[in-house]
Amino acid sequence: MDASGTPEEPHRRHIGEGGLNLKPSARTAASGSLEHRAGEKTLGQISVENAVFTCRDVNVFYGSKHALRNVSIDVGRRQVLAMIGPSGCGKSTFLRCLNRMNDTIAGARVTGSIHLDKTDIHDKRQDVVQLRARVGMVFQKPNPFPKSIYENVAYGPRIHGITRSRADLDEVVCTSLQRAGLWDEVKDRLNRPGTGLSGGQQQRLCIARAIAVQPEVILMDEPCSALDPVATARVEDLIEELRESYAIGIVTHSMQQAARVSQRTAYFHMGSLIEVGETDRIFTNPRHRLTEDYITGRFG
Amino acid sequence: MLEGHISKAFDGALAGLHIRIVEMGGLVLDQVREAAYAYTEWDVEFAEHVLQREAEVNAYDASLDEEQLTLIARRQPVAGDLRATIAMSKAVGELERAGDEAKKIARTVMRQGRRPGAGSSRDVRHLGQLAVSLLRAALEAFDRLDVAPAFEVIARDGDLDLEYSAGLRRLLTRALEDPRHFETTLETAFVLKSLERIGDHARNLARHVCSMSGHAEQAGEPTAASRASGLT
Repeated sequence: MDASGTPEEPHRRHIGEGGLNLKPSARTAASGSLEHRAGEKTLGQISVENAVFTCRDVNVFYGSKHALRNVSIDVGRRQVLAMIGPSGCGKSTFLRCLNRMNDTIAGARVTGSIHLDKTDIHDKRQDVVQLRARVGMVFQKPNPFPKSIYENVAYGPRIHGITRSRADLDEVVCTSLQRAGLWDEVKDRLNRPGTGLSGGQQQRLCIARAIAVQPEVILMDEPCSALDPVATARVEDLIEELRESYAIGIVTHSMQQAARVSQRTAYFHMGSLIEVGETDRIFTNPRHRLTEDYITGRFG
Repeated sequence: MLEGHISKAFDGALAGLHIRIVEMGGLVLDQVREAAYAYTEWDVEFAEHVLQREAEVNAYDASLDEEQLTLIARRQPVAGDLRATIAMSKAVGELERAGDEAKKIARTVMRQGRRPGAGSSRDVRHLGQLAVSLLRAALEAFDRLDVAPAFEVIARDGDLDLEYSAGLRRLLTRALEDPRHFETTLETAFVLKSLERIGDHARNLARHVCSMSGHAEQAGEPTAASRASGLT
């Protein structure tokens, strides 16, 4: 290497003959191979201290299709767990295991153990309706009942016998709508149909409906994908507030949304849980190559 | 490590940024070589040239800053991409500061004081060669995003620091022997210090290469001790 102090060459020539080597082979950042081997252990901390859900070796089969492979993970109280991954990776399938929604699908079979607090949700004595009251769900498309705003929220408490009087029910409807950040917008038209609200308002109505039965966990499957950015921001803000009282599991296709709203992030790929960890870490320093490639937009 | 996005435009933006920083690095390398040469050969023309070209270095700094902000705003890089973007931004900072040191050396020549003695010139030439070689190696590592030569640069910066201390001691000895030229001795000390700082910037640049490649821990962060090495 010529390191003499005499300047004579144009600066470009100093920079070696190698040129720009930007081949993917030079990448060494995250570990793990691109092909996920079946049975490979999930990277990161799957358990949490204050778990509401404890899932171990959960497998889901749709007929002969093995949709979810040996997923073990805890869902913590008062925190948001975001589930991300490409379409068909099993994230929604896993979410639906938590309140036994897969029961409704013909040919679906779930193995492994899922405990809500200390009770096995697959126990024969477990009442599914009761389970779904404890584990509420909000879907991608807002799906209010074709009834009044009031009746949408009052329906759950009524069938679960949570309230004893009309005054009680009024109280629950009011606080649920308030907690969902919808009260001020609808308080003067509680008897109007819920379907007449805007998309964002409908989604918040569905959230109010979910929390009216005082659940422990709220599951959300792509809750903002049908909403505009302003309505999305409102719902995200609401998630942040609800986290103080509930455990929240959210499936999202928006990586930015996962980064914004969650404390823990789980990355699924082809039915396996590849990596789970603090959201701060996953988005700055993922350990698995697949996680890194997915969140940086290299495949998916 | 910058390629492979589904969005080819993102690949292009990152690679474009990288190439322009390498270009800026080549320019700064020239500035350092010319400045050291101008001092040891007491060549005003070279010194003038360095000062003129300083504006070019600053222009690179400003436009790269803007490009990086745009990239972050438009692409919202995460994980390794975010690390690379931030490391590139820091690399620009190191180069800009190395360019500043070259400018300081050139100014010393432009002030037209007394030409340094043969011994001082030799020390400056020697330290200058070390600094240039270190900066060049760091730039090559950055160009190829190759950690092995980057680690080497980090290790070699210690040699430069030792040479700097030795050169300073020789300078002080000469000043005590002949106190008439104390001002010149002081100027030479500042030039040596500038070259030592350029070595530090090269080492930091190498560290940024390591952090871009996920080897931040091994590269170690710049410490107060490594910064304070020198005139104490």
